[in-house]
Order: sequence, then C-alpha cells, then structure tokens
Amino acid sequence: MGALATSRDAPATGRAAAAGGFVAGMRQSLFVAAKDLRAEIRTKEAINASLAFAVVILLLFSFAFDPSEDQLRVLSGGLLWIVFAFAGTLVLNRSFARELPNDCLDALVAAPVPCSALFLGKALANFVLVLAVELVSLLVFGIFYNVRWYLQFWPLLLVLVLGTWGLTVIGTIFSALTVNIRLRELMLPLLVYPMLIPALMAAMQLSTQLVNGQPLSADVAVWLKMLVGFDVIYTALSLVLVDTVLVG
Amino acid sequence: MREKVIYALGVAAALLLARNLYSIFMVLPDEASQGMIYRIIFFHVPAAITAMLGAFVAAFASIMFLVTKNFRYDSVAVSVTEVGLAFLAANLVTGSIWGRIIWGIWWTWDARLTSALVCWLLYAGYLMLRHAIEEPTARARIAAVFNIFAFADVPIVIFSIKWWRTQHPQPVFWGGGSIDPAMKSTAVLNLVALMLLAAVLVLIRLRQEEVQREIDSLRRYAHAVV
Amino acid sequence: MDTRNFTFMFYGFLAAWLILVVYVLMLVARERKISDQIKSLRSMMDFKDHK
Repeated sequence: MGALATSRDAPATGRAAAAGGFVAGMRQSLFVAAKDLRAEIRTKEAINASLAFAVVILLLFSFAFDPSEDQLRVLSGGLLWIVFAFAGTLVLNRSFARELPNDCLDALVAAPVPCSALFLGKALANFVLVLAVELVSLLVFGIFYNVRWYLQFWPLLLVLVLGTWGLTVIGTIFSALTVNIRLRELMLPLLVYPMLIPALMAAMQLSTQLVNGQPLSADVAVWLKMLVGFDVIYTALSLVLVDTVLVG
Repeated sequence: MREKVIYALGVAAALLLARNLYSIFMVLPDEASQGMIYRIIFFHVPAAITAMLGAFVAAFASIMFLVTKNFRYDSVAVSVTEVGLAFLAANLVTGSIWGRIIWGIWWTWDARLTSALVCWLLYAGYLMLRHAIEEPTARARIAAVFNIFAFADVPIVIFSIKWWRTQHPQPVFWGGGSIDPAMKSTAVLNLVALMLLAAVLVLIRLRQEEVQREIDSLRRYAHAVV
Repeated sequence: MDTRNFTFMFYGFLAAWLILVVYVLMLVARERKISDQIKSLRSMMDFKDHK
C-alpha cells in the first residue's frame, strides 16, 4: 500500500497522507474516549449523579400533571428531552473539569494529539455516557408512565443518537470553553440550553410521535433533516475552533 | 476627533428622530384597521433591524479578533452586542405591547417572537460569559468563539422555529405587502435615525472599553514596578 | 377601544425609550467607575513619585 501511494502523482499521495492522518486522528480520538470512559467507570461520579438526577426528575413529573394516557401522549417527547438535557449537563460539566486536578488538561493539550482529536474523543465518551443515561431513563419512563416506546425502537434510537450527538458536541465544546472560569457549573447550562433549542425542539417533535408508537410521518420527518444539519454544522464548527479554545 | 464624531452623530440622530416623531404623530393618519397603535411599527421594526445588524458586526469582529488578535475587534464585538441587546429588548417589549392590543395577549409562542427571545438569551449569555472571565486575553478569545457559535445558531433558530409555528404577520415593508409610501419612507428614515443612535451608543461604549483596557494594563504595570 | 389603543401606543413608545434610557444610565455608571479608577491610579502614581 505504501509503495502504491508513493508511485502515484502528488495529489494522490497528499490524499493518501490525509487519509492516513484521518485514520490516525480517529485512533487517537478513540484512545482519548477509552481513557475517559475507563476513568468514569472506575469512579462513576458523573454517571451516578446524572442517573439519580434523571430518575428524580421523572418522579417529579408525576406530581406536575396527571399522568393519564392522553396528557402524556402530547407531552412525552418534551418531558424526555428535558430530562436528557438536564441529566446530560451533569455529565458534560465534568468532562473537562475532571482534567483540572494535577494539571492533566495541560498535559493533554501538550500531548502529541491534535486538539480536534482530543475534542472528538471527549465528545465520544460523553456521547456514550449520556446515551446510556438516556436509555436507562427511557426504561424508567416506560415503566412509570406506562408508555410503550419500544414499538418504534429503531427510529427512536436514531433520534436519540442524533439528538444526543448535538447535545454532546455543544456541551463538550462549551465545557472546554468554561473549564477555567469561576461559576463553571452555573455558566454551562446557561450557555448550552439556548444554543440547543433548535436541536431539542426537533428531537422533542420526533420523539413525541415515536414514543407513542406511531411511525414517522412525512411532516415530522423534516425535523430529522434539521437535526442532522445541526449536528453537521456544530461538529464542523467545533473541530475548527477547538484549537483556539484549548491553546489560544 | 472622536469626540466630535460622536457629537456630530448624536446631533444628527436627535434631529432626525425629532423630525420622524413629528411626522409619526402629527402628519401620518391612523391605520385603517389598527388605529393609532400601528405607530409602534416605526420603532418596532427598525429596532429589530438594528439589532440584527449588530449581530452581523459582532460576528465579523469576533472572527477578525481570532484572526488578528487585535483587541480593538474584541472591544467592537462587546460594544455592538450590548447595544444590539438593548435594541432587541426594545423590539421585544414594543412587540409585546402591540400584541396586547392586536392579538389580545402579551406574549404568544409564535415563530418570530420565540426566535427573537432565543437570540436575546444567546447574546445575554455572551455578556455573562465575558463577565465571568477575569483574564483579558482568555476573555477575548473565549467570548469570540462563543459569539461565532451564537451567530451560527441564529439562522438555525429562525428557520427551525418557523417550521414550528407562525402567527406573526409577514413583513409588511419588504414582503410584498401593500403599504402607504409615506409610511414606508418614515419607517426607513426612522431606521436611519435609530442606527445613528446605535452608532453613537456603540462609539461611547467602545471608548469606555478601550479606556478600561488602558487602565487595567497601567495598573498591572504599576504593580509590577513597585 | 380608542383610548385603550392610545394608552397602549403611549406605553409602547415609553417602554422603548425607557429601555434606551436605562442603557444610557448604565453607560453613565460605567463612565463614573472608569473615572474613579483613573483617579485612584493617578493617586497611586503620585504616591510612588514622592517615594
């Protein structure tokens, strides 16, 4: 393969090198993600807090309204994503802050890993954690409120994945932005939620239908495009700007 | 020199505003279906346009700061955002009062109202973020990144909420709606007046920001010399 | 209806100008803060010159 690449003309080698760089970058991202997940599995500090928080909010909702069938049918998507967004910020808050003791963040930035790979790795780890919390809360939600969300499991999973990726990309980059400021835990939700409104709105619209066991209709499917667009735009923007955020 | 520019712009804004207020209240007739209240439009719409222009300028200044690392751009970004937020607040409040008469409610979760509110929150977040960071270089850098994110969110917010629901009337000035030419020219003139006013406020705020930066560096210098 | 219409128009204009006045007052407060800082800086410099 190496010989093949060198025998080609210059643009092709450039492309091969770029592909090699991409593969290396992905490997580095996975490495960072694995490191974060391992640390989280050992301490379980973020995920336990997040899960407990999600269950408590789900419990509180039962007092806020009469959890009868038709009321819940309208509200379910919105309720779920409020829980996901709140519980998610608990995970995201810790993402960069956990590197502060012992100057781990400086070491990570100084390591021979591009900041974009570092960011992508952290985002991946957060994504896995938040998605896990979401799946557990979905299970609890289904039991508490007698909702048969599993009827449309695969489309729902797609919406969850897309929505959660938007949440984690914004959350991770803002976690990096706010890592060194006072009132970090307070600032993150204040900055993240307004910016997430389009993604959350799309995810809520889609989930409301799917959770109630209805297939996606055409007029709701437009939200799927919007969700994908949001993810693509902010992933690209974060990858471009993360160097500025972490190094300056 | 700059003082003179500020005074000149201020006088121009005041004269134009006085002229516009005269024609809004004394010359133009009541609107057929809405009566007097429609006159709010002469502030409501220009304030929104001024605020939107502010968002563009702030995003441009933020990008330029990241490219050049020239702190003047950072000052421009914060000044323009602050003034733009004030104008957007004026837009929201006048709209709410107008809606109370025309729709019978103070607030409705309609597309334009909701997106204006979300944009207001986004840029208020920008100012809060700046407030929370002490160190000037980090503050300028992080605020610039946040501003770019917020600016990228504005079109997404507007389009997504538009899909969601719409109650607000379509723009009457440029949307092909029928409007009296006298009303249109007054609205355009008032847009010019409000932009002049915004420019004056931005220049004052800009000077303050630069003096503050100078003071901070002098103070650091003084502490270092002791 | 007509007087209500008039009062609300009045409120609208009042609110718009009030917001701008509040912003101008904030600018004035900042100006005062800055001049205070300059004063304290100047006295600090004087103190050092005498030393």
